[in-house]
Amino acid sequence: MIYLDAAATSFQKPAAVERAMSEALRTMSSPGRGGHALASRAEGKLYECRERAAALFNVPDVERVAVTFNATHGLNIAIRSLVRPGDRVVISGYEHNSVLRPLNAAGAQISVASGPVFDYEAALLAFDRLMDRETKCVVINHVSNVFGFELPVYEVAELCRARGVPLIVDASQSAGVLKVDAGALGADFIAMPGHKGLYGPQGTGLLIASENALPLLYGGSGSDSLNPGMPDFLPDKLEAGTHNMPGIAGLCAGMAFVQSQTPEKIAAHERALIRHLAGELAKIWGVHVFSDAKGMHQTGVLSFEFDSLSSEEAGERLSNLGFAVRAGLHCSPLAHRTVGTVKRGTVRASVSAFNTKREMDAFAETVERMARDG
Amino acid sequence: MESYYLTCRSLTYAQKVSRALTAARIKNMIVRTTQSMSREGCGYAVRVSPEGLTSALAALAAASIPPKRVFLLHRGGMAEEVSF
Repeated sequence: MIYLDAAATSFQKPAAVERAMSEALRTMSSPGRGGHALASRAEGKLYECRERAAALFNVPDVERVAVTFNATHGLNIAIRSLVRPGDRVVISGYEHNSVLRPLNAAGAQISVASGPVFDYEAALLAFDRLMDRETKCVVINHVSNVFGFELPVYEVAELCRARGVPLIVDASQSAGVLKVDAGALGADFIAMPGHKGLYGPQGTGLLIASENALPLLYGGSGSDSLNPGMPDFLPDKLEAGTHNMPGIAGLCAGMAFVQSQTPEKIAAHERALIRHLAGELAKIWGVHVFSDAKGMHQTGVLSFEFDSLSSEEAGERLSNLGFAVRAGLHCSPLAHRTVGTVKRGTVRASVSAFNTKREMDAFAETVERMARDG
Repeated sequence: MESYYLTCRSLTYAQKVSRALTAARIKNMIVRTTQSMSREGCGYAVRVSPEGLTSALAALAAASIPPKRVFLLHRGGMAEEVSF
């Protein structure tokens, strides 16, 4: 199987991830739950995880790094903390349901800063136009999970700072690949999964939080235990219940891999693969590719469609032929609406540090055969 | 042996304190606070020796991570709060 679904979950992990998880199961109990050596080992590993994240994402204080179950968990905390019923929230036209659904549940009035795919300036202009005095919060996806479109997060962050609007960044597709600089962004929240570009296991995530954060879950934290409410300090107020230590140990090893490779090198590798694949697919009659012609604002994610096949049918056939891709709406109907693909969806190929040019060629040849044979 | 407990609001904070003290070459250990030290229930502290206390407090002040409170733990287990 050639795995091209890294935007959902990076399947190939560094060998150290599995080793770290196994070691955690054998040698660690839970942090903050005992004074013994097994708890102490877990505490050290959890702190290492926070320290690595703080270094990788330029977070000024390790206490701002909270561990979550995934990016959706982090985004729910962020939205619940900042958005009240009736609040006007400006979002990009490329947000995932992990943003739309919590916003709808919070009763937000959503305004979509929409713009054509891969048009960086238009996206920024759309935010500039929509962010008015009534705007209570901005949520922006750093990279579209459907099209790999890199949005102008740093410029939007500057607008937010100038206008005093809180900012939430969804770094699901960018963490570990693009520069996610918490210091430069100054965002109230940056949410990210552990199981994509950070090469950790599923069920892990990180939230870089501000003091504005409110608890989503209530329960034991190993601290402040006479308080009937949650502690009022980070990260404890966001981490009720027992930590996923094997997951955290795996995430820590995944981040160590990213730090050793550097996000810049990983991004260059992934962009080169996707540019090559986009070029090959664009030559095929009956296939339409969504790619950034200038190659400046697209990461390792590529959507395309067949004239003669539905995206789901194409995805199924590709699976039978040994390729793992994702087809359909990718939990991002808004992105598909923005680009005009909501009725048919797309087939998405997404790569990681472990994919090769040879795999791209094999995939392009298979797509060519499918398009030819119908 | 007597020792000083530098209490911290959380485990993560105690870990920050411990890292700063280790960087300043001051022997320390993260420990649970005794119930007599804490008004809030379970908590964490960083234990230092009487000889290390002054330099520990100076190092933490320099790093802008002060402890919440400071206790002297006597041999019999009695904790006495000290001002710093």
